Amino acid sequence: MGVKKRISGCVATANAVKLADVEVICSYPIRPYTGIMSELARMVADGELDAEFVYGEGEHGQLSVVYGASAAGARAFTGSSGVGVTYAMEVYSPISGERLPLQMAIADRTLDPPGDFGSEQTDALCCRDQGWIQGWASTPQEALDLTLLYYRIGEDPRVLLPQYACQDGYFVSHILGEVDIPDAAQVKEFLPPYKNHHVLDPRNPQIIGAQMEPSMGPGMQYQRYQAIEGSRKVIEEVHEEFGRIFGRKYAPWVEEYMTDDAEVVIFMQGGHAETCKTVVKRLRNLGEKVGLVRLRTFRPFPTQQVRDALGRFKAVGVVDNSVNFGISGAAGVLLTEARTALYGLGDKVPTVGFVAGLGGEMITHDEFYKMFAKLKEVAKAGKADKQSYWLPFEL
Amino acid sequence: MLEEIKSIKKAPVEEYYVPGHRTCAGCGPALQYRLVAKAAGPNTIFLGPTGCMYVANTSYGCGPWAVPWIHAQITNGGAVASGIEAAYKAMIRKHKTDAEFPNIIVMAGDGGSADIGIQALSAAFYRGHNILFVAYDNESYANTGIQTSPTTPYGAWTTFSPAGPVIPEGKKLMPKDLPKIMAHGHPELKYLATASLSYPLDLMNKVRKGLNANGPAFLYIHAPCPKGWSFPADKTVEIGKLAVETGMFQLYELDGGEYKLTYKPRELKPVSEYIKYQGRFSHLQPEHIEKLQQFANQRLKEVGIEAVAAPAE
Repeated sequence: MGVKKRISGCVATANAVKLADVEVICSYPIRPYTGIMSELARMVADGELDAEFVYGEGEHGQLSVVYGASAAGARAFTGSSGVGVTYAMEVYSPISGERLPLQMAIADRTLDPPGDFGSEQTDALCCRDQGWIQGWASTPQEALDLTLLYYRIGEDPRVLLPQYACQDGYFVSHILGEVDIPDAAQVKEFLPPYKNHHVLDPRNPQIIGAQMEPSMGPGMQYQRYQAIEGSRKVIEEVHEEFGRIFGRKYAPWVEEYMTDDAEVVIFMQGGHAETCKTVVKRLRNLGEKVGLVRLRTFRPFPTQQVRDALGRFKAVGVVDNSVNFGISGAAGVLLTEARTALYGLGDKVPTVGFVAGLGGEMITHDEFYKMFAKLKEVAKAGKADKQSYWLPFEL
Repeated sequence: MLEEIKSIKKAPVEEYYVPGHRTCAGCGPALQYRLVAKAAGPNTIFLGPTGCMYVANTSYGCGPWAVPWIHAQITNGGAVASGIEAAYKAMIRKHKTDAEFPNIIVMAGDGGSADIGIQALSAAFYRGHNILFVAYDNESYANTGIQTSPTTPYGAWTTFSPAGPVIPEGKKLMPKDLPKIMAHGHPELKYLATASLSYPLDLMNKVRKGLNANGPAFLYIHAPCPKGWSFPADKTVEIGKLAVETGMFQLYELDGGEYKLTYKPRELKPVSEYIKYQGRFSHLQPEHIEKLQQFANQRLKEVGIEAVAAPAE
């Protein structure tokens, strides 16, 4: 059996990396994810984890080091935040293109400006379409679990894709929560050693990353498309097995909170959903039919599951904690993805975008109350008078 | 431990850079690649940052290697090599592989080493990874159609440094000196040398010394490019020799912080002898050639050769 400890999201992730018994870690400091790496450095120095701890020369170098390590057959881990995530942009597509199932933890931080290190999901969402598995933890416990779940999903021979295990900076990465740290034997049962047959080994020479003719391009991209689409089944299986071994059951796609007879819900991802839950609970005590649907897996996007989940309410408010200037719907990518999922249901489910918590600001209880009040109006009118609202200026 | 090759006749007959590429006729980088691979032998992994030796070699399904090869971005050869090295170290230590530790060789062009790739290169050497980084210098971004790189010589024509009435000499800047950048400031460096494809025995033995060094080794190889420098495709080896004999390129090893010449021309020829065969210098006026001569004299002086060559004709 595992042990229960009060630890932060960063320390929880580091514990998962240790349990995953990785061979290569590549670091570079940037707040707030740095805490993951300091904890791993301590584990290596104290002899708790036998891994090569490589000092990256920047995030681009970090992703390049783990690309090489994974191609050589090692289980590899790295991470970053904010502008670090975007600095490494060049390397994300080669990693998924060569089908290297390494893992990167992202503790969200704004891009610059404002330069205040605050949390915002813009960084990780900038690289959302690069062929990586991606999703957000909302608690330190889930941060630990996500790392184990994602290695297992990504390394499955039917998938072989890298993973971004995301957590909101500070709101998850630095807030202490009670975490059940599983024991090594449980993890060993859940996560077998990484085995890829396409590795760099002079005893079996292979060429990795050869240049292709344009005529081969469509087929190559179609394979990567099939890999991420094919991961849906594996994601469900692995979540099922995770529940069986560790006793913690997660819905693979969306977590529903007090939605049974709800009329209006908020749809969002990440740690701010925990704040939203307390507001939902309070409003329920006051007799309001409100709920929360929290997205757990962002890539591949669970279009059907989101449609099934959201299609039954009278109004849906989508909270975007990222900037997407000039986007359709004038909010964020979650709103556009949710609307795509709901497309065809007509005016049955009016959707409203709420852009909130930008630049590292928290999303307050007061703001969630205002969102639910607006959703009540929308449900009553059967339509929204405005596509989206930027908080706190427009609501 | 790779043994010294005593003579060119005693070089291994086995080839690990084999037919299957589509480099230009007389390609200097391809010629040196063959020598590097021959010297390194079968227990080798090559990395190819984007550049000529990626684009012209790796046509899908017919790459010219008998050993593993992986693509790296033009930016990150040093970092990808670091990852492979760290992986092998950890996997061997943790008994996750029964493979022998391989030769890990980066084959980067001048862009992937002296320019956009320099950050990853320097970091790998700072960290002390057991790799051999070969910078094959064809003195331009050749794969993209001949644009100036930091190692393009003063006065050379490229499509980004054309000669014209306002800029008569073409390239105005003096080239970066990459081996000297690498030689000073990387305390973990275990071996550093320059080589030329025109001196194959010397080149192969430097590859072996680098691989035996048990730490980061840097080999800077002069690799003439018929297309980019505008000379006949059957003159690659001669041009390489002339570069050394005129002092435009120097063959040395770093030995205890000192430059030790591995080949000293008996009599230095003027640089005009080198540039007269190359179309990229055909626009140069005497004052430009004199500047190039002074550049060669300075580089020679730095490695202990006082130029006594006659001035340009």
